[in-house]
Amino acid sequence: MFTLPIDTLIVFTVTTPFVGWIERKLHRKIISGIYAAVGFALSGFMLYQLSSQALSSPMVVPIHAGVFEACLRVDALSVFAAAIFLAMGFLVTVYSLKYMERDTGLSLYYTLLLAMITGMLGVVAAGDFFTLFVFWEFMCIPSYVLVAFRKQQWEPVEAGFKYLVMSSAGSATILYGMSILYGLTGTLNFAQLSVVMTSAAANVWGYVSLAFILIGFGVKASMFPLHTWLPDAHPAAPSSISALLSGIVIKAGAYGIIRTLFMIFLPSRFSWQIALAVFAALTMTYGNFAALLQKDIKRLLAYSSIAQMGYILFAISTTTSYGLTAGLMHTMNHALMKGLLFLCAGAFIYRAGTRNLDELKGIGHKMPLTAVIFTVAALSISGVPPLNGFVSEFMIVYAGVNAGMLAFTVVMLINILLGFAYYLRLIKIIVWSTPTENVKKVKRAPTLMLLPMALMALSCIIIGLYPAPFIEMASKAAQAVI
Amino acid sequence: MIPLSYYLAFTAILYIVGIYCLATKRNMIRLVLGIEILVNAANLNFIILSANWKTGFVDPFAHSIVIISTALAGCISAVALTIVVYAYRHYGTLDARKLRRLRG
Repeated sequence: MFTLPIDTLIVFTVTTPFVGWIERKLHRKIISGIYAAVGFALSGFMLYQLSSQALSSPMVVPIHAGVFEACLRVDALSVFAAAIFLAMGFLVTVYSLKYMERDTGLSLYYTLLLAMITGMLGVVAAGDFFTLFVFWEFMCIPSYVLVAFRKQQWEPVEAGFKYLVMSSAGSATILYGMSILYGLTGTLNFAQLSVVMTSAAANVWGYVSLAFILIGFGVKASMFPLHTWLPDAHPAAPSSISALLSGIVIKAGAYGIIRTLFMIFLPSRFSWQIALAVFAALTMTYGNFAALLQKDIKRLLAYSSIAQMGYILFAISTTTSYGLTAGLMHTMNHALMKGLLFLCAGAFIYRAGTRNLDELKGIGHKMPLTAVIFTVAALSISGVPPLNGFVSEFMIVYAGVNAGMLAFTVVMLINILLGFAYYLRLIKIIVWSTPTENVKKVKRAPTLMLLPMALMALSCIIIGLYPAPFIEMASKAAQAVI
Repeated sequence: MIPLSYYLAFTAILYIVGIYCLATKRNMIRLVLGIEILVNAANLNFIILSANWKTGFVDPFAHSIVIISTALAGCISAVALTIVVYAYRHYGTLDARKLRRLRG
């Protein structure tokens, strides 16, 4: 029906509740999780099979039903993004096997997780705006439920409602922008749109549509005035879901912005460059300043996600091929680093039962392996040279200078220093403080949780030491849209 | 025949009403209705513009979009109302301003 990786995931999504039923009969709580992990692995294999064809030329899969015509269009950017999503989905599923064992309704948890990743694969593979929108909702609706998954507590319910209201208002805004675009051109197909929009003159309605679509995606990508749901929703979700939300769901917003800005509202015809750069600068500055004094470890990481989205938006606003490559590299690296940080935070919470930084003081002494992995991730995200965060942040700064946006680049450099400051504070609290009473009895993290974390830390180091093949992939992905 | 701009102004007003509803209303169910109004503004826009291309011809593509989008809006309302029910059980009220424990 769609492409093979998406079909595989849909089959697994639909069958997981039945596996959950068998699981209850057998009294083994782990089966549905393993089933979901197998689904991600299988889908990843399908994506690998498909990638060689899609990388050479965009693969178009038409969807016909009567008069309704839509299509999927898989190009290098789709493959690049889909690979990140699937890898994160797999690692987080393995992590959840242990982390979520105290919760009930696990088969539904894995169903929602699979559905969310399916939606994201669909978003990046969509060949026209409406398919993108349908998969967008396919991604959003499970994510609302996942944020409010621990419905016995007040915080997830409140954060989930706030997230739902803001995010669906954003989706409706995208739909409104799409309708204006449809009125302008008579089509929603990306390929046809890009032909029509390059030949027609830029008029007011074009800008109106651009503004609506940008605001809609901006809500998801937590652009500065629209970010307010993020610092509530990300900490309230279970840590494994926070890792996915911060790691990849907000990247789907960035993906939407990249697709629309570079394929429909071309930078040569619509002058959105400076506006986007201003919003990027505001986003990163706000995120970093708000993160400086947080007392809650997951809230701090969530604010840091806002700041990192600012870097990615700034990379997009340079409009050069190199800048977009840098932005995509940072998308991948941030998914790894922030995912890893949230998973580490989850391990601390799993053992110590608190998110408060004062109570987590010195927990690194009791959980040495987790502390080492946490330090690698924190140093990486603050841009210390042999790690992957340095590579992409350096590339973004370089792209900013090359594009002649000196003032914004200076803002970004100051922000990187600010980020370094609060991550050093975090490392000091976790690793270098003397353990408090709360953490005296804490044991080391379970092996099943350490395994995906160690894998991610290793890939952070590998990408940092040997970035060439990854940069080449990101560059191919950037070439596909420019 | 009524000119197209009147219709467009109507959907724009509908959109603004939706945003106003989200910004000012206290009742959580009204917030859910606000989202529905926003989606309906966009749906109406599609229907209006589908008849705009040739006189006497209506583009069926836009109508199929509206049908699917209505279904999606239904899904969102279902999830939203579920969360509202749980919020009511925790707080004993539907007043969104009482849900102020998070500072975001």
